Amino acid sequence: MGRKSAVFKKIINSALWFMLTMFILSVGVFYLARLAPGDPLQSFYGDSVESMTAQELDAARVRLGLDAPIYTQYIKWIVNAVHGDFGLSLKYKMPALEVITPLIGNTLILGGTAYILIFLFATLLALFCAMNEDTPIDRIICKVGTAAYYIPPFWLGVVLVLIFSINLNWLPSSGAYDISESNNIINRIQHMILPLIVMFLSHLWYYAYMIRNKLLDEVRKDYVLLAKSKGCTKTEIVFKHCLRNVAPTIVSIMAISIPHVLSGTYIAESVFNYPGIGALSVESTKYHDYNLLMLVVLVTGVMVILSSIIAQSINEVIDPRMKLMEVSAWRENAQSNSL
Amino acid sequence: MAGKCAEQFVIVGANYKIHASEVKKQPFGHGLKGKPILSIIILGIIVLGCIFAEKVYNHDPTGFYLENLSEAPNANFYFGTDSLGRDIFSMIWYGGRVSIIIGLLSMVIITIIGVSYGCISGIANSRIDVGMMRVPELINSVPILLLVLLLTSIMGTRNIMKISLVIGVTGWCALARLVRSEVRQIRNSEYVLAARCMGGNFLHIMCRHLIPNFISTIMFVVVSSISSSMSMESTLSFLGLGLPVDVISWGSMLSLANKALLLNTWWVIIIPGAFLVTTLVCITNIAYYFRKEVTKRENML
Repeated sequence: MGRKSAVFKKIINSALWFMLTMFILSVGVFYLARLAPGDPLQSFYGDSVESMTAQELDAARVRLGLDAPIYTQYIKWIVNAVHGDFGLSLKYKMPALEVITPLIGNTLILGGTAYILIFLFATLLALFCAMNEDTPIDRIICKVGTAAYYIPPFWLGVVLVLIFSINLNWLPSSGAYDISESNNIINRIQHMILPLIVMFLSHLWYYAYMIRNKLLDEVRKDYVLLAKSKGCTKTEIVFKHCLRNVAPTIVSIMAISIPHVLSGTYIAESVFNYPGIGALSVESTKYHDYNLLMLVVLVTGVMVILSSIIAQSINEVIDPRMKLMEVSAWRENAQSNSL
Repeated sequence: MAGKCAEQFVIVGANYKIHASEVKKQPFGHGLKGKPILSIIILGIIVLGCIFAEKVYNHDPTGFYLENLSEAPNANFYFGTDSLGRDIFSMIWYGGRVSIIIGLLSMVIITIIGVSYGCISGIANSRIDVGMMRVPELINSVPILLLVLLLTSIMGTRNIMKISLVIGVTGWCALARLVRSEVRQIRNSEYVLAARCMGGNFLHIMCRHLIPNFISTIMFVVVSSISSSMSMESTLSFLGLGLPVDVISWGSMLSLANKALLLNTWWVIIIPGAFLVTTLVCITNIAYYFRKEVTKRENML
């Protein structure tokens, strides 16, 4: 009973924190966007702005609500947002929500698949390294991994396109599917391979290294000696005992890694012109499309925070010892230990 | 006197030898062991090449050689030319300056913000500390690239200073956290207390007592922030949100990559990228050297 209510309280707490974050974020984005140079009318009307008279420009400003003070605009925006109206996308000239809905799925598929692959292989790689600590192969993996982590992902993507789609012509270089093949799953998978490789390679070692270090701490504990003296094999000890003890940490890392992985989808999507939220946000930044940008930020925030709440709840289930404090202590640790 | 003494004492026994401890000649490179020599040499060559770019390049890096568009590497243009007809070999050295300057400037900004924020938060009472530590948490709950995009969108014309400022302002959180946890550990030690009792103000304590104590711990983060800033700059330029194409840096050279893909000119993509990656990896290797290895217990496995 007590534990359940504690968990409940924690979830409420994180929900409140979530609301606060979203509020601060939306205010920040709104003000920043309005302070930005670059006329929003330009992106709405395109080049015809230059041929408009001063009266026409004023009328257009009033129509789009750009003449009111910023805080009035913000209140108006938030009232509309609660009603599900996020305003017009200035560039696409349709409701921002309609622009973004078909793209969320794409990003979630790409990001989600990459996320699962990254952590699956990061854990396996970390286990392998931890079992062969300080052997030449472990050292080589460490060196190569660090070097791979510092290759800028966009460059990796461009090089992959150069090799695999332009010169070898094996894989398509852009988009999520070919025209008229939107229901063909194989076609979609083909389009996802390169972005996935980029995201996978550019994040893998970062997390593998963290998990490896954690495992190396774990291997030095006394119960390992006990297990060894009982006659357990190396593999048994690492997989049955150490991995189980490290699992909550891995889940915590997974929770705090979501913004990082999402950042990765931004780059992958932009390089491969994959229609998703990341590519959209880059585009809306370029064209000063504020309404769209606000929505992108909000959607990203919701995704990040919801998934971290889920990860926390999973942690509660697999390890009741885990307390919020420990998570934050680990988080600090992870920050300072990270590459 | 001394001569007399020597005469008075007769050394008995044959074949006496004055015992002198044998000074072992250290093999060359002993002191260098464990230090990232190779990285330092490669990085040194690149940095020197960039500093003395005028001596190194054989074409005008800002010039457009319109009759030699997208030419493959040859004897005249060592690394080829890009789709605007600029000589890549010259641009590498000339543009490296900008990339390295952005890396260093961002590092300075990150260090200043991170260290002072972390120190204030670490010294302050727990309520302010909790409040202050919420800010990095808030910033980290958004993808960092999105923040950078937002900030770049509000800048009009972009220049080196503005780009470094954006990268610095978004990149200090990890450092501030690390500094804070270090300060929390040393803030109750006797010498800090003594300095306080003698009336040392915050700035004095920070500069004379706190920073010297945690500098070795944060060195790794500080140095590797150079490479992450350079990487971020090139990413921004590639997305078309960093430096404009006419300000030459490794990032803005790579912003022509999409065009190069269509023309299938590999040298425009591979060569600046290879320089960038080599520099980043070298800096990281050097950063790793600063990382203090914690003495570990024996592996039980």
